[in-house]
Amino acid sequence: MTAMQPAVGASTSSDMTINLGPQHPSTHGVLRLMVALDGEYVKSCRPVIGYLHRGLERMMASRPYRQSVPFTDRLDYCASLNSNLAISQAIERIGGMAVPERAQCLRVMLCEMNRIASHLIFFGTYAADIGATTAFLYAFRERERLLDLLEAYTGARLTYNWIRPGGVASDMPEGYAAAVCTFLDGFLKELDAYDTLLTGNPIFRVRTEGVGIISPEKAIAYGASGPVLRGSGVNIDLRRTEPYDAYPQMQFDVPVRTEGDCLARYLVRVEEMRQSARIIRQCLREMPEGEHWGKQPKVFRPAAGEAYSRTESPRGELSIYLVSDGTANPVRVRVRGPSFVHLSMLPELVRGVKVADMIAILGSLDTVLGEVDR
Amino acid sequence: MTLISAFLRGFVSILQGMSITLLNLVGRRKITLQYPYQRPNISPRWRGIFYLPYNDEAGRLNCVGCTLCAQACPTGVITMTKMGAGKHASVNEFTMDLGRCMFCNLCIEACPFDAIHMSTRFELASVDRGVSLLAIDKLAQGGADAVERTRRTIEAALEQEAAAKAAAAAAKAAASAQPTEGTGA
Repeated sequence: MTAMQPAVGASTSSDMTINLGPQHPSTHGVLRLMVALDGEYVKSCRPVIGYLHRGLERMMASRPYRQSVPFTDRLDYCASLNSNLAISQAIERIGGMAVPERAQCLRVMLCEMNRIASHLIFFGTYAADIGATTAFLYAFRERERLLDLLEAYTGARLTYNWIRPGGVASDMPEGYAAAVCTFLDGFLKELDAYDTLLTGNPIFRVRTEGVGIISPEKAIAYGASGPVLRGSGVNIDLRRTEPYDAYPQMQFDVPVRTEGDCLARYLVRVEEMRQSARIIRQCLREMPEGEHWGKQPKVFRPAAGEAYSRTESPRGELSIYLVSDGTANPVRVRVRGPSFVHLSMLPELVRGVKVADMIAILGSLDTVLGEVDR
Repeated sequence: MTLISAFLRGFVSILQGMSITLLNLVGRRKITLQYPYQRPNISPRWRGIFYLPYNDEAGRLNCVGCTLCAQACPTGVITMTKMGAGKHASVNEFTMDLGRCMFCNLCIEACPFDAIHMSTRFELASVDRGVSLLAIDKLAQGGADAVERTRRTIEAALEQEAAAKAAAAAAKAAASAQPTEGTGA
């Protein structure tokens, strides 16, 4: 009890401190929330993180540049291709590598497929957090199909390590474009059914509408990004504002909601899945011919300097900062993860709400603990 | 009045939800696989347990023991000792500790001799840590037999090379000896 000091109000005898997690289905990983409760209301909440800390930044810094890519798989394990892209871009910038056009297009396609897979996890687990088990099972069924497609391309189901500095590790297998299109056709139909099942459900709406409101000012002040920021009415998407790879050629809408509540964040993500499907179709239609991997130096020793890459991962802005001193290993690798930033907003968001709403708010931030703890 | 309309809306949404659930219940094939009895359809690109391909024509493993894969590995999975020298080289021991492996594919891409592959085998679970420590007889395509045959091929090639070298040296010595005799005569 001594470790827990409620941030607001004096602690009274009616307060109760409970630990949510580290092993709890709604914490989506090993997150522990020390919550001071006054009856059903949350007086204060303190996230305790670090259970999943593996020292990934240091591990990446003690190895040659190109060997750091598989470690980024373990950052945001729901969307590891997007993390691969972030480090690959940083390494390309520090080493001045060029990426062939086809590789850029393949990267965008892979990242968007991974974005759909990641948002499907959000969709399913968020529904399960709120109490709708059916939607969870349906979302994982669709994700299974998508993972089969990613497996056919990369040979792995979760830790892909397929976007590499200089390009993509392999080209598409034969008949892949047709398989992806077939999946997308079915998937969009399923998504409409999900909308009826969950988005239109009055119980779901009551649980999420007006809950956990983040004002645009607060979102910016905390450094929120991705769907959390766009759910608060700030139209910033790095794929649009600082486009990288083949994104400048892609036609897509950036969904923005002004409400700032849990439902807004949920709706932004669901709409993003549709836009991702649109981007994947464009990639397949306009795939340029050529190499999937650019020319690479045999020994990679970039000149002393630094590089910073910003990418839009499904959770928000994932950035990687690299410092080189001219040797084969980087001096410092720093990961700026969106989940960590979003989790830091939680204590303020849940103050004074009911316990059940706290779960809804935590779920709507869609944090992945692999990236919070690193 | 609002209570009644809320109730009606809830009722309609339950009907909508139930109709979707019913469609999924009767109108669809099961996607769940009864795993140990039904086997998954695995992509040929699957990154599973490793093997060292055996080249039937050359009668040896492709591996030449250059340690490029071991150098490319981020977690130090691979250890090996070389056998033979120069053109006729392979590995004596080649151990992979799959307990540390990330299956990241970097060793395979580093290999210039196409000497290490990944299979579609994926069942690694065991109660003993030693099982994930794969020695060369487990890794080589064709098992211990292939390793033995590689050893014999390499040894024979080395002997042949040594014999050829000796013959060449003898011939050279003879050739260099003859002209001196010639000038003497």
